[in-house]
Amino acid sequence: MLDIQSIFVTLKLALFTVCLLLLISSPLAWWLATTQQRSKVLIEAIIALPLVLPPTVLGFYLLILLGSQGAIGGVWQSMTGEPLAFTFAGLVIASCIYSLPFVVQPLQAAFESLDKSMLEASWTLGASKIRSLFTVVIPQIRRGLITAIVLGFAHTLGEFGVVLMVGGNIPGATKVISISIYEQVETLEYDSAHKMALLLLMFSFMVLFFVYAINRRWQVGIKT
Amino acid sequence: MSYLTSEVNIHKKNFELSFNLNVPLNGITALLGPSGCGKSTCLRTIAGLEKPDEGTISFSRDQWFNSKLKINVSPQKRNIGMMFQDYALFSHLTVKQNIGYGRKSSSKDIEFWMERLHISQYKDTYPEKLSGGQRQRVALARALITQPDLLLLDEPLSAIDVSLRHKIRLELKELVARTGVPTLLVSHYLEDARYLADYVGVMVNGKIMQFGQTAEVFENPVNRQVAEVLGWTNFLPVHSISNKGVKAKWGEMSLSEEPSVDTAWLTIRPEHISFAKSGVHTEQTNIDAKICAITDLGAFRTVHCKLMDDTIVDMHRPWDEPLPIPGNLVKLHFPQQHIHMLSNAGTFARKYKLIKPLQQDIGIGKLSDNDKNVI
Repeated sequence: MLDIQSIFVTLKLALFTVCLLLLISSPLAWWLATTQQRSKVLIEAIIALPLVLPPTVLGFYLLILLGSQGAIGGVWQSMTGEPLAFTFAGLVIASCIYSLPFVVQPLQAAFESLDKSMLEASWTLGASKIRSLFTVVIPQIRRGLITAIVLGFAHTLGEFGVVLMVGGNIPGATKVISISIYEQVETLEYDSAHKMALLLLMFSFMVLFFVYAINRRWQVGIKT
Repeated sequence: MSYLTSEVNIHKKNFELSFNLNVPLNGITALLGPSGCGKSTCLRTIAGLEKPDEGTISFSRDQWFNSKLKINVSPQKRNIGMMFQDYALFSHLTVKQNIGYGRKSSSKDIEFWMERLHISQYKDTYPEKLSGGQRQRVALARALITQPDLLLLDEPLSAIDVSLRHKIRLELKELVARTGVPTLLVSHYLEDARYLADYVGVMVNGKIMQFGQTAEVFENPVNRQVAEVLGWTNFLPVHSISNKGVKAKWGEMSLSEEPSVDTAWLTIRPEHISFAKSGVHTEQTNIDAKICAITDLGAFRTVHCKLMDDTIVDMHRPWDEPLPIPGNLVKLHFPQQHIHMLSNAGTFARKYKLIKPLQQDIGIGKLSDNDKNVI
């Protein structure tokens, strides 16, 4: 039987994470693409950490940070009265950190390859910075942007170790598809596990197929 | 007449630029200088794309930048048209969309400018499919459709194939003349500046060293640095000056007029030197030399000669003229009317003799002496 509740939690988590990550990553990636400061190397290394750290290590530290005694969790609890660990909000924060490099890096590469003289040309033509952003920057970086969104979304979708450490396994709140599959395998419910796994597989494939198709179409569109 | 005044300093990590420009803008004005001398930065600063550390920039009655009064008008509000070196066309937009991007452009205007620049047939084409010349026309149309007060062109012809340059230069000059927009361009191609510009400013190390009518500047460089930028290559050191003559290790030369006391170099264009013919050329301006090498440049040949003090002198000879072979000793003839006296770099030179009357005015009104601001 499909665990609809965990599918819903997973999609909600991926959506929240991607939206939040785009807000954080865009200015961060722009800064990384344009700065000459030495601190850039340090920031880049920190952002890339989730790529190499075992999810359980990252999850462990995040659990400490988000716990009611932790730096982030403590402040959150004193402000809202709610804990962060083992809640959906805590899971979103952990997912953002875990998926950060998957969104920042494509955006940074896109900003680095952006022809700055196009941006300057739009300014000399009287376009405000906001208009330039929507009519020049975003169309120019759209492939990088789509890649960032899809990678961020797909990576959050397949998350397991960090979610288990930080979110636990609370149905309707923190139980995501990957944990549901794990639980079904543990309880030898192979039929349900198959259905869920196949669903995740097909969804991931379709998303990637869609992205490559869009990218190809845009490429062709510019050339003809 | 529009006046552009700027006095700015820019300090960067590995770069120091302080340009002092006070020029009337009428017709086309070119800033000439070697690569990396700060020409493009100068143009970008005027456009508002670079912020100077200190100084002022004014155009006509508008003050665009004043560090003391904390004025810095944004590029959007300077009403300039700028054509970038690589044209900076929006690759995701068609020709028509590119041209219509700017302010004040109705579809009627877009049609008009596409027609005028003969690019109507490419209106739905993306820039990637266009040739260099077509891209340039799109970039120009995009800049001119906004009716700018000042047109800035950054190395306008550097992306054009050599074979098409002359034709495109012609088109560009005609077009800018017809629109009547004051234009400032930067280039390191002497030919482009000479052909396109009505006025030329020569920039050396971030400073405008000479400004004036194109022909006048090209024929009368004020010092050695300017002469080098303008393509003069032969510089003969002068060690002592006597009455109507100069002496140096390469020999001596009698001149029909007394040279100025600060004369440090004799200079002459390669095309003006010839081999001395006995009985025809006077001994007074003939110099002994040894031929080192000959380079065939197609239309002419360059003969590289070494004087007695090892100074290298280049001369251009017609491709069909019989030449002595390298190693031969020869006598070079320097016609007096083509010899210039230059002072040391940084100071003003005195020309030995007016070579020829200035080219006639190019039809955009003469500058008074007060207008010529030589810095």
